[in-house]
Amino acid sequence: MERKQADYSNLDERYTIQGERYQGQQYSHIYYTRLHHMRTLLHALVPSRKPHLPVTTVLGLEKGKDCVLVGTLYKHMKLKPSILDEYSKERSAIPLVKPHNFMHSDDNLILEDESGRVALAGAIPPAAYVTGVVVALHGKETSAGNFLVEDVMEAGLPPQSVLPCINEDKYVVFVSGLSVGSSTFNPLQFQLLIDHITGHLGDENEQTIASKIVRVVVAGNSVHIAPRFLNGQTVAAKDQPRIAEPIKELDIMLTQLVASLPVDIMPGCNDPANFSLPQQPLHRCLFSGASTYNTFSSCPNPHQFDLDNVKCIGTSGQNIDDLYRYSDAKDRLEFMERTLKWRHLAPTAPNSLGCYPYTDKDPFLVETCPHVYFAGNQDKYETRLLKGTEKQQVRLISIPRFCESGIAVMLNLRNLECSTLSFSTSFDA
Amino acid sequence: MSSVGRGGKRRAGPPAAPSPLAAKRAQPMPPGAPQPPPPAAAAAEEEDMMDEDVFLDETILAEDEAALLLLDRDEALASRLSRWKRPALPADLVSGCSRSVAFQQLDIDYVIGESHKEFLPNSSGPAAIIRIFGVTREGHSVCCQVHGFEPYFYISCPPGMSPDDISGFKQTLEARMKESNRNSSVQRFVKSVELLQKQTIMHYQPNKSQSFLKIVVALPTMVASCRGILERGISIGNLGSKSFLTYESNILFALRFMIDCNIVGGNWIELPAGKYSKATRVMSYCQLELDCLYSDLVSHAPEGEYSKMAPFRILSFDIECAGRKGHFPEPTHDPVIQIANLLTLQGEAQPFVRNVMTLKSCSPIVGVDVMSFDTERDILLAWRDLIREADPDIIIGYNICKFDLPYLIERAEVLKIVEFPLLGRIRNSRVRVRDTTFNSRQYGMRESKDVTVEGRVQFDLLQAMQRDYKLSSYSLNSVSAHFLGEQKEDVHHSIISDLQNGNSETRRRLAVYCLKDAYLPQRLLDKLMYIYNYVEMARVTGVPISFLLSRGQSIKVLSQLLRKAKQRNLVIPNIKGQSSGQDTFEGATVLEARAGFYEKPIATLDFASLYPSIMMAHNLCYCTLVPPEDVRKHNLPPESLYKTPSGEIFVKPELQKGILPEILEELLAARKRAKADLKEAKDPFERAVLDGRQLALKISANSVYGFTGATVGQLPCLEISSSVTSYGRQMIEHTKKLVEDKFTTVGGYEHNAEVIYGDTDSVMVQFGVSTVKDAMKLGREAAEYISGTFIKPIKLEFEKVYFPYLLISKKRYAGLYWTNPEKFDKMDTKGIETVRRDNCLLVKNLVTECLHKILVDRDVPGAVQYVKNTISDLLMNRVDLSLLVITKGLTKTGEDYAVKAAHVELAERMRKRDAATAPTVGDRVPYVIIKAAKGAKAYEKSEDPIYVLDNNIPIDPQYYLENQISKPLLRIFEPILKNASRELLHGSHTRAVSISTPSNSGIMKFAKKQLTCLGCKAVISGPNQTLCSHCKGREAELYCKTVANVSDLEMLFGKLWTQCQECQGSLHQDVLCTSRDCPIFYRRRKAQKDMAEARVQLDRWDF
Repeated sequence: MERKQADYSNLDERYTIQGERYQGQQYSHIYYTRLHHMRTLLHALVPSRKPHLPVTTVLGLEKGKDCVLVGTLYKHMKLKPSILDEYSKERSAIPLVKPHNFMHSDDNLILEDESGRVALAGAIPPAAYVTGVVVALHGKETSAGNFLVEDVMEAGLPPQSVLPCINEDKYVVFVSGLSVGSSTFNPLQFQLLIDHITGHLGDENEQTIASKIVRVVVAGNSVHIAPRFLNGQTVAAKDQPRIAEPIKELDIMLTQLVASLPVDIMPGCNDPANFSLPQQPLHRCLFSGASTYNTFSSCPNPHQFDLDNVKCIGTSGQNIDDLYRYSDAKDRLEFMERTLKWRHLAPTAPNSLGCYPYTDKDPFLVETCPHVYFAGNQDKYETRLLKGTEKQQVRLISIPRFCESGIAVMLNLRNLECSTLSFSTSFDA
Repeated sequence: MSSVGRGGKRRAGPPAAPSPLAAKRAQPMPPGAPQPPPPAAAAAEEEDMMDEDVFLDETILAEDEAALLLLDRDEALASRLSRWKRPALPADLVSGCSRSVAFQQLDIDYVIGESHKEFLPNSSGPAAIIRIFGVTREGHSVCCQVHGFEPYFYISCPPGMSPDDISGFKQTLEARMKESNRNSSVQRFVKSVELLQKQTIMHYQPNKSQSFLKIVVALPTMVASCRGILERGISIGNLGSKSFLTYESNILFALRFMIDCNIVGGNWIELPAGKYSKATRVMSYCQLELDCLYSDLVSHAPEGEYSKMAPFRILSFDIECAGRKGHFPEPTHDPVIQIANLLTLQGEAQPFVRNVMTLKSCSPIVGVDVMSFDTERDILLAWRDLIREADPDIIIGYNICKFDLPYLIERAEVLKIVEFPLLGRIRNSRVRVRDTTFNSRQYGMRESKDVTVEGRVQFDLLQAMQRDYKLSSYSLNSVSAHFLGEQKEDVHHSIISDLQNGNSETRRRLAVYCLKDAYLPQRLLDKLMYIYNYVEMARVTGVPISFLLSRGQSIKVLSQLLRKAKQRNLVIPNIKGQSSGQDTFEGATVLEARAGFYEKPIATLDFASLYPSIMMAHNLCYCTLVPPEDVRKHNLPPESLYKTPSGEIFVKPELQKGILPEILEELLAARKRAKADLKEAKDPFERAVLDGRQLALKISANSVYGFTGATVGQLPCLEISSSVTSYGRQMIEHTKKLVEDKFTTVGGYEHNAEVIYGDTDSVMVQFGVSTVKDAMKLGREAAEYISGTFIKPIKLEFEKVYFPYLLISKKRYAGLYWTNPEKFDKMDTKGIETVRRDNCLLVKNLVTECLHKILVDRDVPGAVQYVKNTISDLLMNRVDLSLLVITKGLTKTGEDYAVKAAHVELAERMRKRDAATAPTVGDRVPYVIIKAAKGAKAYEKSEDPIYVLDNNIPIDPQYYLENQISKPLLRIFEPILKNASRELLHGSHTRAVSISTPSNSGIMKFAKKQLTCLGCKAVISGPNQTLCSHCKGREAELYCKTVANVSDLEMLFGKLWTQCQECQGSLHQDVLCTSRDCPIFYRRRKAQKDMAEARVQLDRWDF
């Protein structure tokens, strides 16, 4: 049996920071660029959505007069952790119970543009928005100096290229949260996945399906290194080899995969990569075995690529996790949907999500609508086909952590349908 | 305008009482040791208690009318007037005097003018006119001119002086007065001399009355000159030359008036209908200007309806000046470029006027009225117009008394704007500025400027903070971080000029900053309820509000004493305060501390208001004191006398009730009422008032003791203060004895109780029980039992249990504080360095964390490990630099310091590097101690933290170890560990040391840089290699470590810079703040540098 192939083009250039040189810049530039970019988009919406309404700035507000404002949202949050807490005068006697999320009923939104800030009230629920989102608001200034919102205009899904017509089944496997080296990692389970993908497992029918897998995407958190080795303290000589152990193990496993099909590996928050987004590709020196194959590609996070002209974009999940900490939605897919409608993969960066201080661009802006949008390291597998107003169709995938669920996600490029590959090593399951 | 010189000789100001705090600080006397001076003797509070006669200038200014033209010329400005103005007067008040007028007074002063012809038809010539400024319930401003009140004082009538001699005496006095006041235009100096029956407050006197002469003089300053004449001696007819002791001759005229009319600070005054008239010539900018006779005033006690507050107008403002590089702004050179103003009505949450006046254009700001002007002259005049039209009753700000107000006035002088300093409420009276020093035992020496703005109370939040709170820094930034939980961005004064010279956007940036600085004082005022607390304090103690900030404690006690004495027909002698080293008395007792770490609950028994209750219980007062020689003279039976442990004798209340006990009883009863009302009250405003009141009452009660002990004070009486402390000592000993006698196994208790420590007014007892609940039970029992053995109202109270308790030495302890058996309330520490300014943050964190581990977690090994880790981090150069920064204020330039000090030397060095950003006088200088050549002086080792960061200069860990952290640490650990010093400071964790290589030192210029292997530090020959051949196999591991380090730095960078964006309140603008008081300032800077370095580090792996 021969493995199917798909045309792959890597579109990660915008996420590499190779050429950037840090020169003491701050975060204001990235907000400025974002606002500037989004404003053009939002202004274009006004004539059709809100004809006859003047567009103004925070400064130009006049009391009681209906208008449209475009600006960056800032959410004032009472419970938001601050680095200044470390210096607070009195250590509280009760240890802070870390809430899963920092929402509070007193949270309130503020709209900011270059000219100033105005507090928002009315039809804009603070729970659904986060700092960093650029929106257009219809409303008017009240006598109290607030801006009473009547309607919120988001940029909506970006334009999409036509979904290419592929007349045979081709699969992409997404897996995340392997956590090699952690206590929950099960080597056998991972081996089963590899064997299945490489076609060493199952009957002819299953092997046929496996042969249609054209690519594997490993979406972050592939290894787990005990934090005690990396806290800056000197590590005893006998422990030194143990640091790289999980990486070696991962390398051995990946080598089996890359021997038979292309693999993209993205860094996640626990991987040996930098912290702030965009995370740079895992260093090749970590994968002495796998990196010798040209089918192995180490990619940044976020990661963007075309497969047979199907546009895919995804992250290792930090952007969605951060939205979950600072806002509310019915499921993770809804967070993903919002980021697309806001046209920004990570609006909370740099506010609560680490981010490189760019000066002239905001790489997280979504300019064209992908066909597939995935987020790794989520609690459970979920998927949905999101349909836009201009016939856009986006497959949203929340990829669960493999070490906990034993689930990898298989996407059919032909029809964007999803299924799972589930592996279990216990007998009663 | 003219003002007469100060009459009489200048008295070395009546000093004030030491605070109760100061008194408590007294040390116990080791037997035989030389007696240190008592707290009181050292208390020298310089107060300038002088009246200053200001003559009314009755020429109404023509230029005054012209000046207002500025407003009319500019329409936009004119339209603002409607927002600024006070509500219009109702018609019946505009036209006539048909209804009574009630107002809350805020300020009282006096002026010399022609005596009022209608009210005082029988007198002529210059007379003192009292002016009361206030606000009615409707918010109308009132200036009430009170006529007919004359300055006076008393002398004791010499025996043998007959009523007939009085007129002769008066003539002699008149002649002498004329002689010493030759330049005066006054016709009659001594208005009257009257014979009265009164009694002196000093000493118990069975026979009720004596003859006194009441001398009424024409003008307030003449009291002093007349007193001088009488003290030096004057010949009276056939009695020959005599010198006199004067009574009540050093009371400020305004205070005298308040006492005699029963007016207390901030109370309501009513002018009954028909008893006042409208001023014929309007002299003030107040809406209502009324004249009345002093005897017609109705003063309402602050109760019920009259305890409320009128809607005062509070102006909070801040100015910005464009300084030259390297200089702090000086009014002679540097222009005022912006003034931000907020006007708020007392009791309202939001200001009703927000504006900023800027020099040159400024982009608009949401919700703020931006007024731009082309010249500085226009700004200053516009501000004066704002003051005049908006007519604020209280002017607040941060450091306005020392900086903003004098700066504006001096600047106007430099620019020759003569019409500017008309800021007061009197039409043609200019603001006067003079230097004052305020020196008090409690508050320390402060230099300040006194700006007289007639009719408006100034309230400088900086002064209030320095008075009321002990903080490590008083910058507006750190004060607001402390009280409001907000960091404020701080724009360095060298940047201000750049912002001003930019465009309207950069000036807008500055204006936003300026507005914030104007807003924060108002927020502080509200948050700390200063208006309520100070008005309450003024009402309780009876002094004007303005006295509370500018004067010490003693005036408050004196005011109460005078009021009480007046009721009893007693007069208070003017005894010159003399500070002699002889009059010393023993201080409070501190029982020996049995140092140790107590892991059983320690119950604390406290005497409630110890000193006040001793004075009440034993009837200690000036008027109950019996001098030893008088005991026999008056033939007093021993059973009606108290003999105090210090040997003084006082009569019991049956014979004569003391005034001080009476004052104290009233204060404490009022406090009890306020506390009871506080429990009932629901309304937050009412609660605020009541809480302010009970606090004011407590402070006042405690200051009475100090008043008697101030040897250079108004009316020192060491017999009283030494009796108080001797009783205190006796009671502490007594309590200890009773506890240790009663709570024994013999007495039927489980354990023998042990008193481990006793302070001025509390005793710590270990009952031996192991639960907090049992300790509380026994504590309550002991308190009740022992209270029963004391004279009322002395009461021993049980309040709290410490468990566990770390007793280091006397006045130094730490423990968990329990008031209910379920959960501890807090960690309580005393005398342990956590807030001292000249300690670096590392010490504070270390001490706090150790105490937390020891007391809360009960994990002594954990605490030891923590100390070791921290010391190891310090030696390995892993400590965040901001933790090592030490800050000192630069008060003078280098030459003025006698001894070379680290921060002064550094400031000098920084000036040579870059004069623009170097600290100038008044700034705080942050520094770290760096490694220097052997034998370098300590002051040579200081360095600017930024410079250290930029150049990788190694810090000196040994200095920090030895001079900063070792002492406080050993103090904590010595009661716990056996070999604390060896264990903590000399263990194996101190062996590994790492020192960074400076990038700019001389020798490094000659060094050849070579790459070393990241794994083993071996020198690598090839140009683009990361690891040596031996470490090649560890590649993955070493990369992980590098990248983990980079990842931490990135995380920190993000957290720090987004926090600064948050404080600044803007996402789209760069952070400008250079507040060195901010805890993350250096970390932020370091993060920036590390960020750049991290990239270089990672790049090395890209081969």
